[in-house]
Amino acid sequence: MGRSQEQGEGQGPIHSIRLSTVGAARPTETGTTHEPTGLDLAMKLHYLKAAYIYSPETARDLTVRHMKESMFMLFDQIAWTTGRFSRRDSGRPYIKCNDCGTRFVEGQCNLTVEEWLSQPDRSVDEFLVYHQPIGPELAISPLIYVQLTRFKCGGLGLGLSWANIIGDSFSLFYAFNFWTKAITGETIHAPIPSKGDRGFQSPNPTVKDPVSVKRIDPVGDLWVTPNNKKMATYCFNLSVADQISPHFPANGDNSIPVFEIIAGIIWKCVAKVRAEPEPVTVTIIKKDPNDLKPNNAIRNSQVISSVQVDFPVAEATVEELVRSIGEAKDERFGIEEIGGSCDGNLDFVVYGAKLTFVDLSGEDLYGARVMGKSPHSVYFNVEGVGEEGLVVVYAAAKSEERVVTVTLPEEEMEMVKLEFKKCGMIAP
Amino acid sequence: MSDISSSVKLKYVKLGYQYLVNHFLTLLLIPFIATVAIELLRMGSQEIFTVLYSLHFEVLHILCSSFLIIFVSTVYFMSKPRTVYLVDYSCYKPPVTCRVPFSSFMEHSRLILKDNPKSVEFQMRILERSGLGEETCLPPAIHYLPPAPTMEAARNEAQMVIFTAMEDLFKKTGLKPKDIDILIVNCSLFSPTPSLSAMIINKYKLRSNIKSYNLSGMGCSAGLISVDVARDLLQVHPNSNAVIISTEIITPNYYKGNERAMLLPNCLFRMGGAAVLLSNRRSDRWRAKYKLCHLVRTHQGADDKAYYCVMEEEDKEGNVGINLSKDLMTIAGEALKANITTIGPLVLPASEQLLFLSSLIGRKIFNPKWKPYIPDFKQAFEHFCIHAGGRAVIDELQKSLQLSGEHVEASRMTLHRFGNTSSSSLWYELSYIEAQGRMKRNDRVWQIAFGSGFKCNSAVWKCIRTIKTPTDGPWSDCIERYPVFIPEVVKL
Repeated sequence: MGRSQEQGEGQGPIHSIRLSTVGAARPTETGTTHEPTGLDLAMKLHYLKAAYIYSPETARDLTVRHMKESMFMLFDQIAWTTGRFSRRDSGRPYIKCNDCGTRFVEGQCNLTVEEWLSQPDRSVDEFLVYHQPIGPELAISPLIYVQLTRFKCGGLGLGLSWANIIGDSFSLFYAFNFWTKAITGETIHAPIPSKGDRGFQSPNPTVKDPVSVKRIDPVGDLWVTPNNKKMATYCFNLSVADQISPHFPANGDNSIPVFEIIAGIIWKCVAKVRAEPEPVTVTIIKKDPNDLKPNNAIRNSQVISSVQVDFPVAEATVEELVRSIGEAKDERFGIEEIGGSCDGNLDFVVYGAKLTFVDLSGEDLYGARVMGKSPHSVYFNVEGVGEEGLVVVYAAAKSEERVVTVTLPEEEMEMVKLEFKKCGMIAP
Repeated sequence: MSDISSSVKLKYVKLGYQYLVNHFLTLLLIPFIATVAIELLRMGSQEIFTVLYSLHFEVLHILCSSFLIIFVSTVYFMSKPRTVYLVDYSCYKPPVTCRVPFSSFMEHSRLILKDNPKSVEFQMRILERSGLGEETCLPPAIHYLPPAPTMEAARNEAQMVIFTAMEDLFKKTGLKPKDIDILIVNCSLFSPTPSLSAMIINKYKLRSNIKSYNLSGMGCSAGLISVDVARDLLQVHPNSNAVIISTEIITPNYYKGNERAMLLPNCLFRMGGAAVLLSNRRSDRWRAKYKLCHLVRTHQGADDKAYYCVMEEEDKEGNVGINLSKDLMTIAGEALKANITTIGPLVLPASEQLLFLSSLIGRKIFNPKWKPYIPDFKQAFEHFCIHAGGRAVIDELQKSLQLSGEHVEASRMTLHRFGNTSSSSLWYELSYIEAQGRMKRNDRVWQIAFGSGFKCNSAVWKCIRTIKTPTDGPWSDCIERYPVFIPEVVKL
């Protein structure tokens, strides 16, 4: 679902779009470069999108100038993300840290925050995140886009679109939180370390052919996932008590693996729709529990693991699926190897190579406080998802709820929604 | 060996010649005074008194002589022009959010001029050789794609630059807005109604009988023209001060077309501004930094080529921009020569003037092929502030005036850090010299500015108190990094 926007044209309900550039305050030394790891390169066709909506009381007095100034403070810490991609003679992409900047988009919306949030399918928040892929000219493609949408009531929508090659979703949230602190005027005590070790500990160094990654034909310098099918997105809220717990036998200690249950239920629904062939392999993406806290640098360190079952999914119980998901195998080592092979000239799809489930439920998204107030609503999705589809689970405003963003081929979406209704995930 | 010894000998001959000619009168007076002193000592006090009595001085004679002396001294002091003191000045430092790195500028250029790759290529080559650094700034409106140069944005830039510089000046000098007697603003390309001077009067609630002037259209040399106006006004108004604001507002003048000669200013002109406080009050003499010695203005506008060489006009598509002709350097050289001819006799020591005169006479009478003698201005000045119009201007002047790298360092470093800030660049350069701790009491500074028309204006200041470092100013956070080596071509 790539919505590319032309300068000045509205994207749906957003109008009066103005583009400008923001960057880092201090000049980077000439000749500085940033080398992506194999894992980074494997993610290059994907883009992470997050949209945060703040109420008028919080955001009414925030000027564009102030927002830009605080962006400069953020990019002072991660100046390398304001660079541009280039290729070595061997074809391997690297970032030229030339302080070129990121694109800052301003837009207006004729609805109030309340009217905007009244729409049940939260995927309308995609309009709050300006996105353009990297390419066809690498040298003039920003890696990050920031959108500031002013609602009629004075509320603010902050959208961040970030190329996954820079860092994973956890890094994105970390950077966004840093920005909100800068907006609020809190002195930055802990700058984002940029020279941290970008490796990861993997218990499975022997996995050679990761199934969670699919090699595709070369895309050249336009980093867009080639899909034959048009993808659609649907986003909805789930109540843990009412819609998730009933699917799982009650545990003595009252703790249930919410993400795994949601993944299991959705896996089953998709399997019922997608009968031939059934998706017996899925990819699970989670935060690395061994990762040094806080997230030590902006990088790709998320655990990408694969689950394979040998029983028919559509008939299986949720418990069985949850158990299988628990036995997922970490494939990062293999992905790192294959991503960096052939001098980084190969192109891969990770999200959607197999039906992918991303667990962001541990992230405190509503901790991104501006002027002391949490956002009203947070939306997250990935751009450039492969045809097998993607499910992202993350925290909702209320702690007993979760938000689920599902991206599937358009032709499957309606039938999957029907399955959701059947198992009580969404209201009929 | 003989070469070295002969050049050393020549150096001593030159030095001897300079001492002889420059201190001629002193050298003449010494034997005279010596003779008189010896004679007096020889005569003894008795004889001196006898001689004096014999002159028959009467009371009337003495009174008349004293009155004559007093009358002559009064006339002399009254007709002496009032000294104009530069109390202090402040240069605007743009916020880091306005920074324009090379890569950013080129990316914007490629996105806006996507149908004219040749123009983009041209801009890149200009930027590579421009001598600018990565920290120059453009106003917020120009950071948009495409740039959004509305009148409101231009006014905002003017307010940002001028008010910040003025507030800094108030803080530095303790000046109260109500005490300003004369206000002169010069901004060449943005001239709204009400004027920028009216904008300042409104903001700071200045007095209703203030003498305010707004100079527009006078190019990059307008800063010194403002100083000239202030000087003349301060001759007429005793016990007054004058505030001069020199700036160039970039927002409305960003060229939106693709004509190459008109894209050049986009690459070089950057945000900047300065506020200067001048005074003719004796009480300010103790805290002033400089006093104005000379100000020479030369205008080449009578010559058609000079008049047309910097021309604001519309291109084929109707976009307004500034067209710089290819003869710019030649014309600048000629304007400089005209200016030097006038200022030379005022500042050069007698030895240089004599040499110049003899070389001139020699060329006219004996042999026109003799090389013209270029007076050594390094003997007249310790510091030079050459308008940072571009690398070519600084190179040309360094060659013409035979200046060393250190003399033009202030100009080159200002071009690198701030770009071409038009009329205010001279003040950034002066600030650089102060920040480096090179400005000592009795040092003389020569400020040279060029501007459309074609004009060459120069001012000579004398430092009246040593400026101690560290100075607060636009260089305070980066002076340790300077001077930097600026490569001939920066690879983008």
